[in-house]
Amino acid sequence: MAEGGDVDWELSKENIQPLRRGRAISALHQALSQQQEGDSSAINQQRQAFESELRMYDGDDPLNVWDRYIRWTEQTFPQGGKESNLATILERAVTRFTEENTYFDDPRYVELWIKFAGNCPEPLDIYRYIQAQGIGLKQASLYIAWSEEYENHGNYRKADLVYQEGFKKGAEPHNKLQQFHKALQARVSRQVMLNVEEDDSDEEHTQPERVSLAELKSRGKKKAIAPINRVGSAIRSVHSGMQSHAAPALGNASNSKLVVFDENKSHAGPSEPKLEAWKAPPTSKAKENEQKPGVWCDVKIPQKTKFGHTLMAPPPPKPAFQPFVEESDQPPTMTPCKINPAVNTVLSARKPCREETPLKRLQDHHQQHNEAVSGKLQEQGMYCKELLLSGATEFCFEELRAERYFKKMRQEVGGQKDEASASASN
Amino acid sequence: MSLFGTTSGFGAGGTGVFGNATTDSHNPMKDVEVTSPPDDSISCLAFSPPTMPGNFLIGGSWANDVRCWEVQDNGQTVPKAQQMHTGPVLDACWSDDGSKVFTASCDKTAKMWDLNSNQAMQIAQHEGPIKSIHWIKAPNYSCIMTGSWDKTLKFWDTRSPNPMMSLQMPERSYCADVVYPMAVVATADRGLIVYQLENQPSEFRRIDSPLKHQHRCVAIFKDKQNKPTGFALGSIEGRVAIHYINPPNPAKDNFTFKCHRSNGTNTTTPQDIYAVNAISFHPVHGTLATVGSDGRFSFWDKDARTKLKTSEQLDQPITACAFNSNGNIFAYASSYDWSKGHEYYNPQKKNYIFLRNAAEELKPRNKKW
Repeated sequence: MAEGGDVDWELSKENIQPLRRGRAISALHQALSQQQEGDSSAINQQRQAFESELRMYDGDDPLNVWDRYIRWTEQTFPQGGKESNLATILERAVTRFTEENTYFDDPRYVELWIKFAGNCPEPLDIYRYIQAQGIGLKQASLYIAWSEEYENHGNYRKADLVYQEGFKKGAEPHNKLQQFHKALQARVSRQVMLNVEEDDSDEEHTQPERVSLAELKSRGKKKAIAPINRVGSAIRSVHSGMQSHAAPALGNASNSKLVVFDENKSHAGPSEPKLEAWKAPPTSKAKENEQKPGVWCDVKIPQKTKFGHTLMAPPPPKPAFQPFVEESDQPPTMTPCKINPAVNTVLSARKPCREETPLKRLQDHHQQHNEAVSGKLQEQGMYCKELLLSGATEFCFEELRAERYFKKMRQEVGGQKDEASASASN
Repeated sequence: MSLFGTTSGFGAGGTGVFGNATTDSHNPMKDVEVTSPPDDSISCLAFSPPTMPGNFLIGGSWANDVRCWEVQDNGQTVPKAQQMHTGPVLDACWSDDGSKVFTASCDKTAKMWDLNSNQAMQIAQHEGPIKSIHWIKAPNYSCIMTGSWDKTLKFWDTRSPNPMMSLQMPERSYCADVVYPMAVVATADRGLIVYQLENQPSEFRRIDSPLKHQHRCVAIFKDKQNKPTGFALGSIEGRVAIHYINPPNPAKDNFTFKCHRSNGTNTTTPQDIYAVNAISFHPVHGTLATVGSDGRFSFWDKDARTKLKTSEQLDQPITACAFNSNGNIFAYASSYDWSKGHEYYNPQKKNYIFLRNAAEELKPRNKKW
C-alpha cells in the first residue's frame, strides 16, 4: 500500500532489480533517497572502505569481504547498472577463487556464481562450467537456479534432469531440493494440460497447412533445395512444453531424408552435459561475431567494362597538379579549444577488438593459471598483481602502501584515545 | 652535528662520500652517495632551477619528510634543511626562481616551503592524497597544479586558500608532468589527458593509452625549438611509450619499447617484467633515463630508438630520478617501491640517493641535437 513513506519505492518499482533473497525495505528507502539527493560521497567512502579492506585483509576467510561488498553493492544500487560496478565485482570475486577448492562447497561462493551466471549473456554455459569445475555439486541452490534457467528457455526436460542430477549427487539441503522439484513438476504438468487443451481446440482447423520441418518440394528442372537445419531454440519453440517422452510428434517421422534434432537420441541415458572433457569453460555461442574482420583474400575481382573486357583497377594516381599549399600554413599550435576536446575520437577508426564475454575472460584466466603452473608462461610481472587488481578498481603501489599507513594511523589514534579515556577516568 | 633528526648525521653509515671501496650490491655503479638520506622510501627527487646558483637537491619520502641538500662541485653533499608533513610525501617541486619548494603529501595537503626563512605553510587542500605537484609559470599567471587521488586536478594561487580552478578527471591521478604550455596527467584505468595552459588551464585532449597496463610515470619532452611536443609514459609492466601530440605520421612516429626486464626471450624461463618507476629527460641532450623496480637505470635515445646504457642491478628498486639543470648530474634513489606489497618491506633496510656524472653517457647516438 502506498503510504506516505513508501511512495519512493512504489514509484521506482520497475527500476529495482529483484534479489533472490528479497530486499530490506529500509536499505531500499535509504538507497533511493540517497540517489535522489545525489549524496554520493558517503557511498564513495563506503566503497573505498571495502576496496581497502579487500587489500588489507589477512584473515582466513577472504570470501567474507567479497560477500559483504557484493551484498552492500546490491542493496545500495537497486537499479544495478554501470554505476554499481556489480558485474565487475562479481566477475572478480568469482575468478579470484576459481583455483581454490576450499570454497567450492561454500554456499556463499555458490551464491556468487549463481548471481554471476544471471549477469552473463549465456547463463547455461556458466552452469555447465561450474559443474565441470566441481563447484557447488552438493549445493541444492545450484541445481535450483540452474533448473530455473532451463525452465526459462522452455526446456522442461533438461530442467527436470538437473534435479535428478542434484538428487544423485546428494545435494543439501535435501528437503529444499525436493520442494522445488515438486514445484517444477507442478508447473510442467500445468503446462502440458494447457497444451492439450490448445491442441483440442486446434483440431477443427483442417485446412491443408504446410507441415513444419518438412522438406520443401522443388519445382521445375532445378533440383536445388534449401537445406533445413533447425537447431536449438528454434526447435524448442516449436516443441512447446514437454514432448520428450513421446516421439517427436510435430516432426515428420515419415520424411526420412530429414534428420530432426532429437534430444532423446543424442544422449545415452539421463542427459548429462559432458563433464570430463572440460578443461576450460565453453566459448560463447555467438560464433558469428567472434571472427575478427580481416583482409579478404588477395584475389581481386576483375572488373569488366561494358564490352566484357576485364580491367584491372588502376592504382590511385598521383595528381598531375600540385596541390595548393598556403604559404602561411603552419603546423597547428596548441590553442585553447572551446569545442569539447574530450570528444576527438568521433571519426577515428575503431580498433578491432575481440568479442569478449565474461565466460571468455574466465577461460583466459584459467588458461593463464594453468600456464603459470605448468611453467609455460612467457612473461611474468614481478609485482603483486593480486593486490593491485583485487577489487572492482585497480590500485597502484602507492595506494596500497597508503592504505596500510592509514590503517596503522587509525589504530594508533584509537589506542591513544583509549589511553586518554583510561587516564581521564582515573 | 646532525641536521636531520636523530638517526643520521654527516657521512652516516660509514660510507665515504665518493662511494664504497667494497662492491656490495647496494651501490654497484660506485656512484656518489648523498649523505643523510631519508629513513624511508624516497618518492621524489628534484634539482633546483638554473636561476639559482649552485645545485640543490630535494627529496621527499615515506617518512613524512622532505630534505634539502646542497650538491657541491666536488661531489660533496651537504644536508641543509628539512620539513615535515603529517603524512608520507608523494611529490615535490621547485618554483621557477628557486626560492620556494612545494611539497605534496598523503595528508591531503600541499605546502609551500620558503627556503630562506625555512618556514612552510599550507597552500592546498584536497579530499584525498595529493600524488603530483607542479609549478606553472605562464606569462599572465603563476600557480601550483596538484593532482590527487580524489580525481581532481586543482590549480592554486599560493596566496588564497581556495583553488583558482578545479578540473574533474575520470579517475585518480597517478602521475603528471608540466612543461609550459603543456601538461599531461595519467590516471588510473589507463586514462591519459593533455591540458593546455595558455591563458588559463583547460583540457586539451584525451588520448587512448598506448600502453596495456597501469600507468606509472610520465615525462614531457621538447622539440628542437625547445617547445613541448610529446611525452614518455611508463607502465607497470616494463614498457615505455613515446607519444607525440601532433606528429606528421602518428603510426610511424609514436612507438613503445620494452625495458626493465630480465633474461632475454630466448631462454626457457619466463621473462621477469618490472615496473618503470620514473622517467626523466636530459635537459640538454633530450635523451631519457628510466628507473625501474628491478633496481636498474637505463639511458635511451628516443630519436635514434636505441638504448645508450643499462646499469648494474642494485639490491633494491630505484624509485625516483632527476637531472640537474645543466644535465651534468643524474640523481637516483634506491628504496623499496612496494611493488611486492607489505611482506617484502624491511624497515631496517637503508635507503640511498646516488649521484652520477651524466655529461657523457647521455649524449645522443646521432648528433641530431
